[in-house]
Amino acid sequence: MTPSRAAFAAILGKDLRTELRTLQSLPAMALFATTSFVIFRFGLNRSHLAGSLAAGVLWVTLLFAAVLAINRLFVAEREEGGFDAIRLAPIDRSALFTAKAAALIVYLAALELVAVPIFALFFLSSAASLPPLILVLALADVGLAATGTLISSMAVNSRARDLLVPLVLLPLVVPLMIAATAATEPLMLLGGVSYHRFGTWLMILGLYDLIFALLGYAVFDFLLED
Amino acid sequence: MGVLGWIVATPAVPNDIGGHYVAAAYIVFILLLLIYVAIMAAKLARIEKGLGEVAEIAEARKAEADADQAAPGRGSEEPSISDSLAPHGSRGGGA
Amino acid sequence: MYGKGLRPLSIATVVMFAVTLSLVFFYAPIEADQGFLQKIFYLHVPLAIVSLCGFVIGGIFAVLHLRRDDPRWDAYSYVAIHISVIFAVGGLITGSIWAKGSWGHWWVWNEPTLVSFLIVFLLYATYYPFRYAIEDRQRQARYASVFAITAGAFVPLNFLAVRMSASLVHPRVFATAEGGLPGSMMFTFLCALASMALLWTTLVKFELSAKSAQGQLKRLRRALDAPSGPPASRIAPEVN
Repeated sequence: MTPSRAAFAAILGKDLRTELRTLQSLPAMALFATTSFVIFRFGLNRSHLAGSLAAGVLWVTLLFAAVLAINRLFVAEREEGGFDAIRLAPIDRSALFTAKAAALIVYLAALELVAVPIFALFFLSSAASLPPLILVLALADVGLAATGTLISSMAVNSRARDLLVPLVLLPLVVPLMIAATAATEPLMLLGGVSYHRFGTWLMILGLYDLIFALLGYAVFDFLLED
Repeated sequence: MGVLGWIVATPAVPNDIGGHYVAAAYIVFILLLLIYVAIMAAKLARIEKGLGEVAEIAEARKAEADADQAAPGRGSEEPSISDSLAPHGSRGGGA
Repeated sequence: MYGKGLRPLSIATVVMFAVTLSLVFFYAPIEADQGFLQKIFYLHVPLAIVSLCGFVIGGIFAVLHLRRDDPRWDAYSYVAIHISVIFAVGGLITGSIWAKGSWGHWWVWNEPTLVSFLIVFLLYATYYPFRYAIEDRQRQARYASVFAITAGAFVPLNFLAVRMSASLVHPRVFATAEGGLPGSMMFTFLCALASMALLWTTLVKFELSAKSAQGQLKRLRRALDAPSGPPASRIAPEVN
């Protein structure tokens, strides 16, 4: 195993193990998502959603729940000196970026495993939209993880870090949200699952993922300089 | 009289849909530009004031240096014996 | 020496604007369906285009800052973004006025170009609180450059996504049913674009020159052991 891959595996393993042991982010995200769904039920005064409304409620909730995890992503590194350790280690510093992004993808996947079935239970009339939705979720998770990790690593070193992430991240993920909701909406139509422009939107998601993953990877070194 | 009436009746901008909107847009542009100029003017005034202060200080220093030069030897800092024996104000007296 | 080319540049800007405004109001023909209202086009579109290019240029300066590790490029990046934000405000307001005149609403959501532009503006508006939140100057400069690069890459992607999400079109002034802008309008438009670009460059140079003057004053103060002046801005990078 090359040193970078070893470092990546080590950091990823550490993060996942820590999360499993302390269970800081995951339960909070899942609970937040479920409560948000309940609030939407009453806020919109509807017990049944379809089409664009369903897609919107789902993605907005997932996004805000993701922000919870993104806020906490680098806190341990900052408080326990993890940044210094990475600086001193003879590895490619971007390994920290990929490891943290991978960890975030795992958290998001865990969140969706809980939140999406609950969403379907609360609001959808059939689960037929779920299998193709998995594809959309996967691509969106990658993009959200790349951008979230990048912004989180900068915000953690600033004052008011909890404010900075939502402020800067939200405009950046707008294209992602546009593509995700546009791909999801036809899946949740009342009349049945439709794949209208599904491929196009998946491509845009893929493009977003590619650009921001590459960007984050390229630029991360400069963020760790002292 | 008729000519005067015609001049008064002509609108300032074409009255068809849009005359006022076009004027508003160009006015907004000019205003933005002028606000920028005003802010830069304030900055310039501050720089000018700062330069004035610095010039005063530099001139005061120059005057001191000239005064020292004009009376050679007198101001040179060799303490006389009587000076070193005399109690030095705050330096010796303080705790 | 940022003030060096400033005089000829500003003169060129004034001349170009004089030419453009004359063309707009005395030469360009009145458009068929929008009437006189269409004249806003010569103001709104160049403002928008120049501000977007300015953002991308700010990103390029940021790349140079990170690669050369020279703090001057951070200042250039900051000023480029700052001036572009001002132009963007102008673009949004004039766009809104045009929308009100054309469709009766001050804001419309089914307008992909206007909406994309709003999102880009919102993103760059966060540039200031972002810089403000990072106290260490050097880190602030580095992070700001990362932001500028990320945001610069975001601009084209955003336009693509928003354009695809809407089926209605912006007044496609460039691709009308007849197949394009008549020559006289195109010429006027190009002059307007050149004027805005010159104005942008003039303002950037102007701002850099003022910052440089402030920096030199600070140097003087320090050299003379004079008391330092009022505290400088926490976010605007200094130029020496």
